[in-house]
Amino acid sequence: MSWLDTVRAAAEAVRAHRLRSVLTMLGIVIGISSVILTVGLGQGAQDEVEDQISALGSNLLSVSPGSSTDASGMRGGFGSASTLTLADAAAIADTDVVPDAAAVAPTSTTSTSVVAGETNWTTSLIGTTASWLDVRARTLDSGRFFTAAEVADGADVVVLGPDTAGELVARGSPVGETVRIDGNALTVIGVLAPSGASASGTSEDDVALTPIGTAMRVTGQTPSSVSTIYVEATSGTTLTAAYQEVEALLLNLHGLASADADFTNATQDSLVATANATNETLTILLAGIAAISLLVGGIGVMNIMLVSVTERVREIGLRKALGATPTAIRRQFLVEASLLGLVGGLVGVVIALVGAAALPALIGQPVSVSALATAAALGTALALGIGFGVYPASRAARLTPIDALRSE
Amino acid sequence: MSAIIELESIRKTYRSAAVEFEALRGVDCTIQAGEYVAVVGPSGSGKSTLMHLLGCLDNPSEGRYHLAGEDVSTMSEAGLAEVRNRRIGFVFQQFHLLASLPAWRNVELPLVYAGVPRSERRERALAALDRVGLADRVDNRPGELSGGQQQRVAIARALVTEPSLLLADEPTGNLDSRSTADVLGLLDELHAAGRTIVLITHEHDVAARAGRRLVIHDGEIVADHLAGAIA
Repeated sequence: MSWLDTVRAAAEAVRAHRLRSVLTMLGIVIGISSVILTVGLGQGAQDEVEDQISALGSNLLSVSPGSSTDASGMRGGFGSASTLTLADAAAIADTDVVPDAAAVAPTSTTSTSVVAGETNWTTSLIGTTASWLDVRARTLDSGRFFTAAEVADGADVVVLGPDTAGELVARGSPVGETVRIDGNALTVIGVLAPSGASASGTSEDDVALTPIGTAMRVTGQTPSSVSTIYVEATSGTTLTAAYQEVEALLLNLHGLASADADFTNATQDSLVATANATNETLTILLAGIAAISLLVGGIGVMNIMLVSVTERVREIGLRKALGATPTAIRRQFLVEASLLGLVGGLVGVVIALVGAAALPALIGQPVSVSALATAAALGTALALGIGFGVYPASRAARLTPIDALRSE
Repeated sequence: MSAIIELESIRKTYRSAAVEFEALRGVDCTIQAGEYVAVVGPSGSGKSTLMHLLGCLDNPSEGRYHLAGEDVSTMSEAGLAEVRNRRIGFVFQQFHLLASLPAWRNVELPLVYAGVPRSERRERALAALDRVGLADRVDNRPGELSGGQQQRVAIARALVTEPSLLLADEPTGNLDSRSTADVLGLLDELHAAGRTIVLITHEHDVAARAGRRLVIHDGEIVADHLAGAIA
């Protein structure tokens, strides 16, 4: 019996029991579509995180202070130490020591109130240097950023994030206005263009930027300690080299072995990996549940195929009497089960694609369905049909034609 | 004449956990090409077992069976399937047609398993249906045909592979007298055209149509009559 004839016979058998075939496929349909959708939701969430992190700036390294241990042995959390200094930043900026660093921007971040006339707004005050704009890949909406000279002088100038500007100055451009931080008058010289929310959830658009000396003066911070040093590598390929150079330099400057590092050096990739770890756990959990429903669907296929074999004992006997070999019978039932799996899988994929198109509008979550995941799901559906068809098919193949013909 | 069927000391024993039952106890018999043989006997006599062995649906426990010169007594299941497909046309009491397929698709089934190409299958199925007088019923499903017509479809299916042997197991058992006459008339015609037919029945008037009668009783052939010898 040719394969074409086998497939035709199987398709006829599936069609002959339409309702039953549809109900059997339903399990596969639900399983496949939920697997594709959960994996798609997880992938969508990951893509979103990656977009946000890459929006931080390209080829970015961020160096943060490590944890501190006080005199009583109590360890503070990540970033609690004040181990990074402006001197560290200056050392990294030395192109002889760190040749793969294109630009360095130390930042000192504090939460503070900014007053404009009658309006009072709490925001993140970031003291930094002129290279911050390039390092963080931001642009200005209006005005200008502060210059290296203003940074050196500790000039009383401030650049506002678009949200901060909107909160402080109801209408018109704030450029040229004066705002007060802790009683110090600062001139607004520019407004940043919007960037969107950051991975940590704090807005990158609600900030006030001043030269680092100015920020330290107005907030009365420990002189010269910084909260994060951003380093931009010369290119994506030199990012790893830059990472190692910065790591070695800081360990050397602080006189520490790498196990005792009092700072944390992170690339965008490592930030993405950390952010994705949580996402992945959740995705695996959901996909696991969906996979179980797929398994249940497969068992449904086996159940129906067993019923079908029992019901069609006479047909099997007749086909054998007419010359069907056990192999031909096994093949017919296997193809029938695979067909149930495959058609169920195809319908499941269609439903998943419709769902992927509709879900973002309904629940506000991006769904990213990859061709690979879809192909894998289809392959799984087919494999389920074959896998769960093997036992019923071999039962059919083992029936002796006499017993099969005798049964009423 | 050449021998189509040669049975030598055929025994068939059925074993279950506690019981051993000898359905055939040494059957010797030769059937020549072109013969029309009726196997008669009461139920439980072993005639169904003999029919299963003749039809290559089962292997004998002992003895040799040559079908058209080929020893089939120890063949594997797949080998027997191939012999059935090539050598034997079955006609059953319950017709055994597939209800979901039109007449011609039922008739082409043996050719599907023989690996005959699709276009040739339809041609040969239509010719076989024409042979049994159902040229105008090729697209009807079994449910739309009378019992006699269904049995004629089954005969067309048995003929379509041009088998060496036509094996009919109580072919008129489920038919009214008119359809019975109809089907038996068709078998007579096929015999006249040179077909070898073995008919299994317990009805003596059906058996009377055959040229030779084998009477089987308690697993043995107790009488072998030629039509002329009894009357």
